[in-house]
Amino acid sequence: MHNLSEEYKTLVSIAERTGGQPGSFGAEDVIYVVVHGNRILASHALPGVRIEAAETGDGIDARITVQAGTKVSRPVHLCFGHLAASGRQVIRSRIFLEEESSAEFQAHCIFPNAIEFLHAMEGEIHLGPGSAFSYREVHVHGPDGRIDVRPVSRVRIDEKAVYRGDFTLVEGRVGNLAIDIDVEAHGRRSRVEVTSKIYGKFDDFCQVRDIVRLTGAESTALIKARVVLKDRSQGKFLGLVDGAAPGARGHVDCTEVVQGEAKAVASPVVQASHPEAEVTHEAAIGRIADEKIQGLMAKGLSADAAIDFVVSGLLR
Amino acid sequence: MLEPQMLFVKDLEVEREGNRILRGISMQVHPGEICGVLGRNGAGKSSLAYAIMGLPQYAPRKGRIWFDGEDITEWGVTERARAGITLAWQHPARYEGIQVRDYLKLSKPDAAVEDLEEALKLVQMEPFYLDRMVDKGLSGGERKRIELSSIYLMKPRLAILDEPDSGVDLLALGEVMGLFKILASGGSSVLIITHREDVAAACDRSYLMCAGKMILEGSAAAVKRYFLSQCEPCVEQKPENTGEAALNHA
Repeated sequence: MHNLSEEYKTLVSIAERTGGQPGSFGAEDVIYVVVHGNRILASHALPGVRIEAAETGDGIDARITVQAGTKVSRPVHLCFGHLAASGRQVIRSRIFLEEESSAEFQAHCIFPNAIEFLHAMEGEIHLGPGSAFSYREVHVHGPDGRIDVRPVSRVRIDEKAVYRGDFTLVEGRVGNLAIDIDVEAHGRRSRVEVTSKIYGKFDDFCQVRDIVRLTGAESTALIKARVVLKDRSQGKFLGLVDGAAPGARGHVDCTEVVQGEAKAVASPVVQASHPEAEVTHEAAIGRIADEKIQGLMAKGLSADAAIDFVVSGLLR
Repeated sequence: MLEPQMLFVKDLEVEREGNRILRGISMQVHPGEICGVLGRNGAGKSSLAYAIMGLPQYAPRKGRIWFDGEDITEWGVTERARAGITLAWQHPARYEGIQVRDYLKLSKPDAAVEDLEEALKLVQMEPFYLDRMVDKGLSGGERKRIELSSIYLMKPRLAILDEPDSGVDLLALGEVMGLFKILASGGSSVLIITHREDVAAACDRSYLMCAGKMILEGSAAAVKRYFLSQCEPCVEQKPENTGEAALNHA
């Protein structure tokens, strides 16, 4: 038998510990949604923001609309998770920011006990003219087992709109991760920043595919990845910016750090489909220097704790 | 009566890439003492520091190291640090994304902000540095002073300071030198590795190192005098007896 209030408390306490402000869930002036598996445990909206959510067989379908001109002052917290060891959760979301609205969403994806689990996020995001949207997704997984994580986002950005996406998975096992983000900045002077921060361990596998098409004149994009892999984990990064409009400017920046027997592949791809676009890239794969690790060990840290400390800075 | 030894190194030999970089080093550091190792560049001073700290690349092929009567020759870096030995590196590493406050707290996890500020003040640094990152935004001298602050917070039983003055401007040098005495008065032994005779002169006792060997041991003044009058860039010759210092040039 499920104890809904216990599930709520556990998910929320982990969410607040790992990036959510304490007291955010349940506060009168904060918009939040808490979902365990396919059950909506809590949902709270404020004027100017409409949340329509329905439970499905294996997750939820949600449509969130930030109405024209609405400026949401405090971060919107979305908590998706499950406390079981196995199962699946599929979150289908459609997020619309209407003209001149702004909001910052913080998604907490919490699976502390997962061993065999599928967590899929299928998101469609549409940013209206002049809107600004920040979406930060933080995952918390347990130290054991594997979890399949499939965040897929399709983003469309209108004129002068700003999109910032930030995916972080640094606590617990990564499992088998495949990020697939595709952004079309078709509005003039629209802006995109996509950041991924991942810490793979044991035999984790992570694949990041970030694609931004700059089809709006003078649109800009930055794709940034910080991936740390240790033990036998493996990672593949593909970051592609296509400058397809006059004055479009983009940059891909990927740093991967490997320790132990980990393997990394980085493919920053820049493409200029328009002669007046400018796109650049940089990529580096390296190890954590011995002097950094030994410097911390001379303060009494174990080698593993020293590596974790260095990584915490790299992924901040 | 023999003085008690905190650190005792006997016949230490270290080889790297086919070169014998430490050749039969014997030395000791007493409790609460400020002991210097003076020598020109390339004499092997930093290698000695790394070997005492237990860096695997400097594992001895011969000889033993005792700390507080325990043979620590086979111990790793972490074990030695937890026993009370630490090292302030000549060129402290950069740590991207790590704030100075978090870096300092590694040395004293329960430190209050006041403790951190006091440690910075000892090396002439303002409290705002706590919010800075220990990365390329800090100069080498700033990182050096932060490293010395962290040693002060750690209150080790033996602090090895590798060229503690390098990169530090003259104004702060006095504070850095004063830190040796503060550490010693707080109960730490201090082993200073330096190529500067004026830094070595601040020690209670010194060794002179040349070409991987200890060639002289004595009062800081005597070693300084010999260094200034006799030392050429790394020549292997038998020094004369200074009277106040014991010679050991094999």
